[in-house]
Amino acid sequence: MSTVTATAESAPVRVRPRRRRLGVVGVVGLALLILLVGSAIFAPWIAPYNPEESSGNPFAAPSRLHPLGTNDIGQDILSELIYGTRISLAIGFLAAIVAISIGTLIGTVAGYFGGWVDAVLMRAVDVVLVIPFLPLMILIAAYVGPSFWNIILVIGLLVWARPARVLRSQVLSLKSLDYIDAARALGAPASRILRLHVLPGVLSLSLAQFILAASNAILIEASLSFLGLGDPTAKSWGSILYYAQVRSAFLTGAWLWWVLPPGLLITLAVLGFAFTGFALEEVLNPRLRGMS
Amino acid sequence: MVRFLAGKGVQYALVLLFAVTLNFMLPRMMPGSPLVFLAGEDVGFLSEAQRTELLRSLGLDQPLWRQYVQYLGNLATGNLGYSFQKGRPISEIIVERLPWTLLLVGLALLAATLIGVVWGTLVAWRRGSAFDLGSLGISMFFESTPSFWLGMIFIAVFAARLRWFPIFGAQTPGVSLAGWAMVANTAWHLALPLATLTLITIPGNFLIMRYSMLTVLGEQYIATAKAKGLAERTVIYRHAMRNALLPMATVVMLNLGFIASGATVIETVFSYPGVGRLLYEAVLNRDYPVIQATFFILTVSVIAANVLADLLYPLIDPRVRHAR
Repeated sequence: MSTVTATAESAPVRVRPRRRRLGVVGVVGLALLILLVGSAIFAPWIAPYNPEESSGNPFAAPSRLHPLGTNDIGQDILSELIYGTRISLAIGFLAAIVAISIGTLIGTVAGYFGGWVDAVLMRAVDVVLVIPFLPLMILIAAYVGPSFWNIILVIGLLVWARPARVLRSQVLSLKSLDYIDAARALGAPASRILRLHVLPGVLSLSLAQFILAASNAILIEASLSFLGLGDPTAKSWGSILYYAQVRSAFLTGAWLWWVLPPGLLITLAVLGFAFTGFALEEVLNPRLRGMS
Repeated sequence: MVRFLAGKGVQYALVLLFAVTLNFMLPRMMPGSPLVFLAGEDVGFLSEAQRTELLRSLGLDQPLWRQYVQYLGNLATGNLGYSFQKGRPISEIIVERLPWTLLLVGLALLAATLIGVVWGTLVAWRRGSAFDLGSLGISMFFESTPSFWLGMIFIAVFAARLRWFPIFGAQTPGVSLAGWAMVANTAWHLALPLATLTLITIPGNFLIMRYSMLTVLGEQYIATAKAKGLAERTVIYRHAMRNALLPMATVVMLNLGFIASGATVIETVFSYPGVGRLLYEAVLNRDYPVIQATFFILTVSVIAANVLADLLYPLIDPRVRHAR
């Protein structure tokens, strides 16, 4: 069958070979992620102290016992950072799951049904994209109160718009393919076509969008925690910076071990997710291939 | 052109309606009395009669739809409510704070757009060079860095260590200056927050400009221009950059929400007396009416800037100007 079509079309169509490798950027991103996820999982074995106990004098400079010194109540900063990885990554992952679930649902429905459904949903996407997101999150977080799950919900409920837009355009191009037409001609109900034919086509792209959303969520969580809206019982990297700011650590020599490391970790985590996401997107999204 | 603006108008009206309705619903949806959110936590100490009186004076005994109508009427007449924490009408506080935010955000937007455009143009022209790759790396770093952290590092290094810049505020307190001395003092205080906000805003502009420029450079008319033997400078700036700029206008608008968010945390770090800092103070004091008013004002500012950009856009894109 394939030979027949190949000979029928005399002019050979040049197809760009599908990229299966992540490339240098993707490998670096993945390595960063593995490193951070690893230290989150094995925190109790890596961290020298329990981060919630005061294990030294307050405001101590780095020493052999405390490689990154101690904070205002004598807790070991290195241990805080290692355990903080758990909170920051968990919030990033979970908020991204919320965002991608909503984004995939809305993007798929809008793209598949088109018409007024599409118009209404895309208007909603535009509204979310225009509004200044951090003040909106601060407003909602101030009302619902700072807790681990509330922060995840607030971030997740406001980060879905961009993935929804990307996935919608993917569904639009899937919709015009012959096998979807065939399924529709055979009388398959929309729910069946969506579940069996459309969703598998967008899942790989959702994965790339999921990772980009997680990098976004980590950065937003850091901002919220820094403004004092983080969960006080679960210290993330952002909360560590909040306490450093409240205790004016950045006006003393302590900025080197109390302010610098948490920010670098946030940057590395965001970069790790972003690199992996970009590389995956390039492998998975046919239209982006060869453009960068 | 008219249809383009009308479509945009509907979108902004929806954004505004969403923000206003959310502000109206939040205190009334929460468990417990809305009084706690609208009149401060001290209401716990009031007698039953005083509470009823307060409910009545705030109109909270009315049916919900009448409260909503009254709420819209208040906003339309510039009444943003009352801060029980500060004992002042909120609109008064906002009028004091807004100019500082507009100064900071306006200059950062201008600087970041100019730098992003020129940088992206030059880098695209030398695609694949060490300059291109280095620029991509640097912009990715600043795109991924928390803005408040960058601000803290700047204070630690340039203000606390080197003492080149002040640590907080918009002007030296307790000193009354006039004329150029005041301008210089203000600029000196503005330098670090402005640098921080500009640095985190550049990468978005730079990456889009580079991408847009790469697309344009692949067009036939660029090859023609080069073949005619025009100077490199002429091809870059007159033929390529002008067309590559068009998508930038949209990106700069989409970035406004991002910049407003960045300004909120950066003003907090530098104790800069703008609307963002006001939002932070209100969160600390649980001054809910002020939190709501700041969110409202920031949303209105972003919409206003969008409208301005929409009105200016036809000036740079003749296709929109002549479309019917």
